[in-house]
Amino acid sequence: MTTAAYLYLGAVLFAVGAFGSLVRTNVAGRLVGIELMFAAAALTFVAAAAGFRELDGEVAALVVVAVGLAQAIVGFALVAGSDR
Amino acid sequence: MSLEQTLFAIAATVCIAGSVAAVTVRDARGAGGALLATLLSLGVIYALLSAPLVAAAVIVIALFWIVPATLHLTATAPRAHPWPDAVGLAGAATVISLPLLLVLLLSVASGELPLNVSVHSTDGYDVNAFGAVLVGRFAVSAVAGALVVAVALAAAPIAARGRAR
Repeated sequence: MTTAAYLYLGAVLFAVGAFGSLVRTNVAGRLVGIELMFAAAALTFVAAAAGFRELDGEVAALVVVAVGLAQAIVGFALVAGSDR
Repeated sequence: MSLEQTLFAIAATVCIAGSVAAVTVRDARGAGGALLATLLSLGVIYALLSAPLVAAAVIVIALFWIVPATLHLTATAPRAHPWPDAVGLAGAATVISLPLLLVLLLSVASGELPLNVSVHSTDGYDVNAFGAVLVGRFAVSAVAGALVVAVALAAAPIAARGRAR
């Protein structure tokens, strides 16, 4: 598979996430959209790392995944708190 | 069509369909399931890109964060057995995920992966180089990322209590 195929997939994933975070009205839906955008960014980093044969992109993707996890933790706490 | 192309076609289809379902389905359990499918298919795609550590991290997050969070938000608890509070949940999640995280760190430290998840049988994954980049050029980013997660874990119960009031 070419690197471009993975980059296109990342672009589609980011567009879907952006659409979801802008269109959805509830907090959980917007969080899912933002989570998808984080995943798309990480995929783009890993695809670029594979394309350039450098490990930097993979490490950057791991940092992006960690920041996405932090966003999910705080978002979940806010949603769970408001549900109570 | 080679094995890699077939796997990519399946994973990409599941990934796009799951992401569209995750943002369009109104039912929280359905959206959570769709997000889980998206992240697991991304794990397969990372394995195809010969990035097993990123694949492992995404799969661990999908299984140990998305599934419990979705269940917590959607399952109804009986009054006699209420859900534990956020601190208890975070503690349980930490206990479950800590051994997996330990395996990941030991893999980086020892330079060997416990199992080969790459579909390219001739690929040799250089974990030592990965660790060197992580503690070298990306040391500040890695520490900042770990700090952000730690602050989020500490702030989550406070945010939940504040929101509940």
